[in-house]
Amino acid sequence: MRSPRKREHAPRAGAPIPERFRVARSTLIFDHAMNIVIKTGGIAVVGAIGGIFIFLLIQILPLFRGASIDYVGSFELPDLGIQAMGIDPWSEIPFFVDPDGTLHFLEIVDPGAPHNRGWFTVAPPLPPDTAFPFARFNQRYGKLLFGTDDGRFTVVNLNFEQSFPEHRQREIVPRLSGNPVIRIGRSDAVFEELDYVDAGRTKLAVALQRLGDGTSELHAVTLRATRPLIGDPVLRRDREFDLTGLFEGVPRFVRLTGDADFVIVGTEEGYLHLLARTRDGFEPRQTHRPFHDAASEAIHSMDFLFGDLSLILTNPEGRNVMYSIYHDEGEGHRILGRTKVFDLLPGGRGADFYSTSVRNKAFLIGSGNQAAIRYATTNATRWESELDFAVEHALLGGRYDRILFVDDANKMHLFELSDRHPETGLRAYFGKIHYEGRAEPEFMWQSTGGGDAFEPKISMVPLIWGTMKGTVFAMIIAVPIALLAALYTSQFIRPEMRGIIKPIMEIMESVPTVVLGFLAALWMAPLISGSVPSALLVIAALPAGILAFAAIVTALPRPARRWIRPGYEFLYFAPFMFGIGWIAWSLGPVLEGILFAIEDPGTGAVVADFRLWWTETTGAAFRQRNAFVVGVFMGFAIIPTIFTIAEDSMSNVPRSFRSAAYALGASRWQTAVTVVLPTAAAGIFSAVMIGFGRAVGETMILLMATGNTPIMTVNPFDGMRTLAANIAVELPEAAQGGTLYRSLFLGAMLLFLMTFLVNTLAELLRQRLRERYKAVE
Amino acid sequence: MNEASHQSFPEQPVARRPVSVESRNLGERANYAPDYIAFRNYSFYYGATQVLFDINLEIPERQVTALIGPSGCGKSTLLRNINRMNDLIDGIRHEGDLLIGRTSVYDPGIEVISLRKRIGMVFQKSNPFPKSIYENVIYGLRVAGRRRKSVLDDAVERSLKASALWDEVKDRLHESAFSLSGGQMQRLCIARAIANQPEIILMDEPCSALDPIATGKIEDLIHELKNDYTIVIVTHNMQQAARVSDRTAFFYLGKLVEYDHTDTIFMNPMEPQTEAYVSGRFG
Repeated sequence: MRSPRKREHAPRAGAPIPERFRVARSTLIFDHAMNIVIKTGGIAVVGAIGGIFIFLLIQILPLFRGASIDYVGSFELPDLGIQAMGIDPWSEIPFFVDPDGTLHFLEIVDPGAPHNRGWFTVAPPLPPDTAFPFARFNQRYGKLLFGTDDGRFTVVNLNFEQSFPEHRQREIVPRLSGNPVIRIGRSDAVFEELDYVDAGRTKLAVALQRLGDGTSELHAVTLRATRPLIGDPVLRRDREFDLTGLFEGVPRFVRLTGDADFVIVGTEEGYLHLLARTRDGFEPRQTHRPFHDAASEAIHSMDFLFGDLSLILTNPEGRNVMYSIYHDEGEGHRILGRTKVFDLLPGGRGADFYSTSVRNKAFLIGSGNQAAIRYATTNATRWESELDFAVEHALLGGRYDRILFVDDANKMHLFELSDRHPETGLRAYFGKIHYEGRAEPEFMWQSTGGGDAFEPKISMVPLIWGTMKGTVFAMIIAVPIALLAALYTSQFIRPEMRGIIKPIMEIMESVPTVVLGFLAALWMAPLISGSVPSALLVIAALPAGILAFAAIVTALPRPARRWIRPGYEFLYFAPFMFGIGWIAWSLGPVLEGILFAIEDPGTGAVVADFRLWWTETTGAAFRQRNAFVVGVFMGFAIIPTIFTIAEDSMSNVPRSFRSAAYALGASRWQTAVTVVLPTAAAGIFSAVMIGFGRAVGETMILLMATGNTPIMTVNPFDGMRTLAANIAVELPEAAQGGTLYRSLFLGAMLLFLMTFLVNTLAELLRQRLRERYKAVE
Repeated sequence: MNEASHQSFPEQPVARRPVSVESRNLGERANYAPDYIAFRNYSFYYGATQVLFDINLEIPERQVTALIGPSGCGKSTLLRNINRMNDLIDGIRHEGDLLIGRTSVYDPGIEVISLRKRIGMVFQKSNPFPKSIYENVIYGLRVAGRRRKSVLDDAVERSLKASALWDEVKDRLHESAFSLSGGQMQRLCIARAIANQPEIILMDEPCSALDPIATGKIEDLIHELKNDYTIVIVTHNMQQAARVSDRTAFFYLGKLVEYDHTDTIFMNPMEPQTEAYVSGRFG
């Protein structure tokens, strides 16, 4: 029976196609549909990989962007005779201090709106009938420093509160509280410089005064806070010191470090003197010439970076360097040293205005109409521009988001600063950086710290190092064991045993790594830590035991050897090896007593302890959670992967090759080495590479058993931190969109690229190997 | 013992050479008797399945002996037992004995590896290693620990000449063996087998995958080789057996049905089964 439809399709010439040659329509549709599904699947996989890559890229690109600045508006200022200026933490109400000490606030958000307060003044709680011609504001601590013209000063605390009046916009309200007026220095001279620092127990003030005869004097006063029964603590004068004789030259700048331990004096002659506070006074510690290598040695400006540990200095040529206080191993105490050299300031002049961020290590610096924002950690210039007005005063807003310039025509210009990730950049991630407080440039990862002036250290290098270290140790353990096991299972053991071993290894592969990590951290690490010599002895004894077993078997007469049937050697071998291992483990303490004994310097007793010996002999640390333990356990995690794939490829070597080799008188080992291994090389290689990829990306074991210390050593008994573990560790700290958040994405990208690169190279090599050892069809 | 399965050749007596007692490990060639591969009441089992039944067979020296019979008759198993290639299979068992010269291949004093070095084998499908032609030929010498280049070079040239391949490959010895044609590959496998200087060459259907021209070359080669080697060949091809062999053994269902001079087997077989098989009526 033929339907009319079919007749239609029949060829016109010749015989019609018989029914049996027709392909059913459903087969064709199904075939077509499956084609589409498979194609879609393939494209989706490639698309997903591409999508991950693009997503990571979108997340990390902002890290490498510079700062940008947008003009918001300008404000006319009354002629105040600005002594100091400051701003609240929300950057909404900047204020200016006039020569009377009055604070003039200007609300700059939504100017002209009904809730905008415009200009308003607040008088600080200063004693009446006293003039305070000297005023300075410390943005970080919210402290106003007022000085009289007769050798007295006082500190006014300025706090900002948010209040929420009903039905109105949030208001920032300044709150001021005063302290007694304290004598410092001479009463017949005005202050040229005044600095005060409150370091908890120690409160210190210094005053630089120029006398009528042109000489200068430097005095320091320590203060004590006494706490009355009722009310706030009150500052009282404790002791006064004359620092003038402690250095040579005419002092021009003086600054106190944030811990009140050092006074740093800059002189007219271009010298920098470090005076250290001792138990009962001050002593000169160091003298530097910051611009000794420049044409003009004079110091033009000297200001603290946020944290009050590092000085940003300029000379009249616009040279810009940084000196920091750091602990020097050689000196044994803290010293001042040059840590950074920045680019020449734009315009080639020394800085006439300066403002440090109180959020990070950025600072705004410049002179005239040239302004730049620089980032101290990375030596980077974040932004630099020529303005169309000459700057008299400049201020970097409390949240590093606004810039205020006051020009010479008493006009204030407001800019929005957008620089989300000032501390990043290629140098920050991959370069050696001289961090504050460190003796030399280093690769470091320490993303968060205790204080608000903490300098994030975000080098990826220690993490890449840790990843490589963990991987290398794991591979050292895993590759020989896995490949030899695969060789044994595929070539030597009886096929029935192979049918048992392979599924067991595959089950091993599915053991959650958190279990392995748990075992590694809580069982293996303490065990190994107490018995390193035993562990080393076992590692040495096992290969030796194998050779010994082989020698014994070879020495046996042939008839006796027939008891050991080929493929069942393990029945004799395994107990023998267990015995060897047990003996080696038991001999560990003996070895420790012979080789790893050291004399206790305190008691003179000889102690046999590998941990002490290791630290004593190599100078390297010994930690319980170390690379050795990780290597063993991560090795166990990747052995099944390598084993399974390698075993498959070895078993797939055509039987005819092996038969040919046996027939030519090759032993099983010769067959395995000369025929099976080369032929299976491509598969073995990809097994090793897949194992490598797993080790690189492995997280849980490393997280639990490495101690997560991002340090760069090859010491097998020290910890490390890997890229993957780092992501897991730091995740709770990372605010969305923040620098740490994006840095973790950068770590993820590096991991992705590392595995991608390794796998691609491996695949290319594998193709070549396969081509070379391709079995003939 | 079945009379038909135990054939001797009184019409062609060959003087036995004395066999020294010391030659335990397959000894010197000079000591071998012409019928020196001898199956004595030999039975063989794969697990519970018996595949060879009470075989009595004597294969003479420096002749070509063909083993014929329908598929599954046990002739390949028999061949592979001569160099104990079946050892790798689990659950095998044998009864009776298999002697080479006067020594059993199952003697506890025999090292299987050295036994195999003395017995070359050529397989049904050519199986050169994924190595160069040169490395393929000297593989047996390499695993035997021979390293002197002059020795290896000589062996390559000698073996390739003996397998009539030298002129075709002498300029590309270091190219991959996979660049050869099917027939060349099989001759390379023969060269590889004789590079070890064995005494016996076992051939398991060596021409079944080759075209007639390549087959012809291999057959010519077998004719050449029998001057120096004892050759046992399994074949499905009656004409080939008739062309190349001096003696032919016909197997059926694991039993040796008839063993005689090839001419006798093909022209005047004693058993009706043999006649039916060689004349193409079954099999």
